[in-house]
Amino acid sequence: MTGKTVSRRQFLKHAGATAALLGLSEAMIPQLAKALEELAAGKPPVIWIQGQNCTGCSVSFLNSNYPGVAELVLNDLSVRYQPNVMGGTGQTAVEAIDQTLQNAAGKFVLVVEGPVPTKENGDFCTFGLGSGTKKLMGNTVPNDKPIAEWIKQLAPKAAAVIANGNCASFGGIPAANASVTGTTPVPKYISSLGGKMPPVVNVGGCPSHPDWFVGTVLEALLFLSGKGKLNLNSNNMSKTFFGQLIHENCERRASFDSGLFLEDWNQADPDMKLCMFKQGCKGPVTYADCCVRRWNSKVNWCVGANGPCHGCASPNFYKELSPLYEPLANTNFAGISTAPDVLGWVAAGATAVGVGAHYLYKQLGEKPKDTAEGGEK
Amino acid sequence: MAQIVSIDPVTRIEGHLRIDVEVTNGVVTDAWSTGTMFRGYEMLIQGKHPWDCQQVMERICGVCPLIHGTAASYALDDAMGVKLPDNARIIRNLALGANYIQSHILHFYHLQALDYIDVAAVLNYSGNDPGLLVLKNKISQLASANDLYPFLPAYSAPDYIGEAGGPGDANLATELVGHYVQAFEMRKKAQEMLAIFYGRMPSFVGTIPGGVTQPPTVTNIAAFASRLTELQQWINEIYLQDVLAIAAIPAYKAFMKLGDSGGNFLAYGGFDQNQAGTEKFFPRGTIYGNDIMSVQGMDETKIIENVGHSFYTKDCGPLSPKQGKTDPQLDKENAYSFLKAPRYNGQPMEVGPLARQLVKKPDILVKLATDLGLLTPPVKFGILPRTAARAIECKLIAEEMTTWLGQLQPGQPIWDPKGQDIPSDSYGRGLVEGPRGALGHWIHIQNQKTGNYQAVVPTTWNASPRDDKGTRGPIETSLIGLPVPDVNNPINVVRCVRSFDPCLACAIHIIHPEHNGVKEFRII
Repeated sequence: MTGKTVSRRQFLKHAGATAALLGLSEAMIPQLAKALEELAAGKPPVIWIQGQNCTGCSVSFLNSNYPGVAELVLNDLSVRYQPNVMGGTGQTAVEAIDQTLQNAAGKFVLVVEGPVPTKENGDFCTFGLGSGTKKLMGNTVPNDKPIAEWIKQLAPKAAAVIANGNCASFGGIPAANASVTGTTPVPKYISSLGGKMPPVVNVGGCPSHPDWFVGTVLEALLFLSGKGKLNLNSNNMSKTFFGQLIHENCERRASFDSGLFLEDWNQADPDMKLCMFKQGCKGPVTYADCCVRRWNSKVNWCVGANGPCHGCASPNFYKELSPLYEPLANTNFAGISTAPDVLGWVAAGATAVGVGAHYLYKQLGEKPKDTAEGGEK
Repeated sequence: MAQIVSIDPVTRIEGHLRIDVEVTNGVVTDAWSTGTMFRGYEMLIQGKHPWDCQQVMERICGVCPLIHGTAASYALDDAMGVKLPDNARIIRNLALGANYIQSHILHFYHLQALDYIDVAAVLNYSGNDPGLLVLKNKISQLASANDLYPFLPAYSAPDYIGEAGGPGDANLATELVGHYVQAFEMRKKAQEMLAIFYGRMPSFVGTIPGGVTQPPTVTNIAAFASRLTELQQWINEIYLQDVLAIAAIPAYKAFMKLGDSGGNFLAYGGFDQNQAGTEKFFPRGTIYGNDIMSVQGMDETKIIENVGHSFYTKDCGPLSPKQGKTDPQLDKENAYSFLKAPRYNGQPMEVGPLARQLVKKPDILVKLATDLGLLTPPVKFGILPRTAARAIECKLIAEEMTTWLGQLQPGQPIWDPKGQDIPSDSYGRGLVEGPRGALGHWIHIQNQKTGNYQAVVPTTWNASPRDDKGTRGPIETSLIGLPVPDVNNPINVVRCVRSFDPCLACAIHIIHPEHNGVKEFRII
């Protein structure tokens, strides 16, 4: 090796894996390799902070494959601040942010996991020491710095912001308590700050799939450097991952079409092919590619384990998708009874599915958030 | 002279934790543990279909979803009077075991190891291992680009392995960093084992009230077994050996007894070996004052939550979790934490791998404790025994999983349909052992909907604030006496905090028992 961090051959190999991740054709590989090589020469800096999160999206990131997380951290990204893996603690952790603001302002990607509580001056979620003081059993100690303050400070200086996971993007589970905490999705909070802000891209999922997150970061970086496209759906999520309904590509779709449903978990189904619709599957209203991408090194996915999709990548997860284990529309589906024999017949054609999906949204009392053909941004 | 040192963020844990210590003449003389994030979680579930509980409760925490989902499932089973089929019991054990493996590997290498290793020592590696030479080359490129993130900046310490004049040498440090990289792949394989039965991780769909969703088949058993064999070998040959190598370093000898939490231990017991749950792979029990030869019983009615130093009104404690009341008051004098202070029999209790293994006392643990001189008075269990107990437990559980795999019976039931009969009024509880310790979920089903829901989690025990009597929580006690020669480098404080593997998202979630609402309040 001659000073370059990775050899040309490694970049081609890496680009092959990345092309697969982004669903690109092999013809794109040399072009992608060149773009990646140029990007990695500068190792784009990343600051990853956590709001009202559960760390599920960070743990999911650690499950990344092709590229693996060690490869990503050593070769591709300069991960300056990530509270679960970084060496620094306390002031030495905060120092990494200070250094980045000094030497990479306007160049770093800001990743936010978890939403932003805004009530009570943002004190429902803090990290690092603030500039004031507070009392601790009679002692005077430095006060706490809210995540809201951090975003106010960091977002205007970022090249792009990635809201990682459903609750960062849309509020998710913590937003159910918004009346007390003022929980606000990251894009909404950033736009409320006014002023010139970088683009904010959402990554859905509770948690986000590592490919969705890594792929969206790559797409954003390639886009920012003028080397790639960033096709977003109406929820500001990449169409590469959130362009089609799970139901459209489900491996058990044939069972749905034939009206073969799992009724009982002890049912004899040696090949595990029965459709999960009657157990509450939200695949018909959820835009994500779990069914083809699968999870954990492609080992399985929810429906593959005889569990229904709970729609965790939907902007309205969880509250509006509850009850999770009851069929989506328990009276009608595209105007026809949900009796299995009829249901299978109705949904047999592609057109009927589209109609069905929209009808289901109607049943849920809202408009479809997106379609596969939705407008580009 | 006494000085307060505030450490925030405490990284390489789950969640938002702040630690304040009083340092007098280079030694910690007082400590306060404070969680700094609040969501108000259980409100969401009130009035919802009880089957939703497992899916919502597993999302309390992305590091420990498996154990919360499992506890919720057991609580629901209990409320519905389920008789869990053997296949379901065993698959739940296997999935939980797989999560122990991924959690313990992650904790030792990715959360804890950087407290002991000088990553820059890799530059001085003088061995011939091709993989480690690639690593050396990589680190040297990053160093010359002045980009050793995310490893640096960090606290400096004269006793990092590989540090000039420190213990060990650059080759040992490099091997450990090599294992740190390998460990990413290994913990990922443990997650894959989970996904085989439960669909995916984190957040999974594999358990339901009454059982599990996926039957055992020759194919999924084989897929699970092949990963398990590989992990067993790695745990025995790499993980356990690395822990022992660190424990053998003379510079760390003080950490054998420094970091003792007070010597009270609590284990609910976990991994049912029969349908009734009367036999458990990890037995239940309590220990007081490090008297490990005298294991006492565990009676859940002796669990009482104090709020004397928590942000809740006086009448919220002392109460049992079942009657738990959570009425926030943020301007309360001398309150400093969102965590309540659970006490058992009036005592603070440490929970987790050390508690479980001291209650179980497997031969390997007793031999190691004897060899390390831990059983000579004064008997204390500090930072390194806590770490070693975790590794030993990982080995034991991985070995037991082979037995469980062999007990699965393809074709037999995986689900008790009673799980779908929602009673109109019923209580259920799930007491389990998660990677971080004793976990209890309590549900009250009312009008066939979810009424009150309470969870008392491991980190609430370990990271609790002072109780009504002013007695410190286990982590607070463990910090007293630690050397902090330089207040700008409180490395020993975070070494000790991390040995508990704290998980803050789990610990802070409050609910009002009457209307399940969280009152308006503010953090000072």
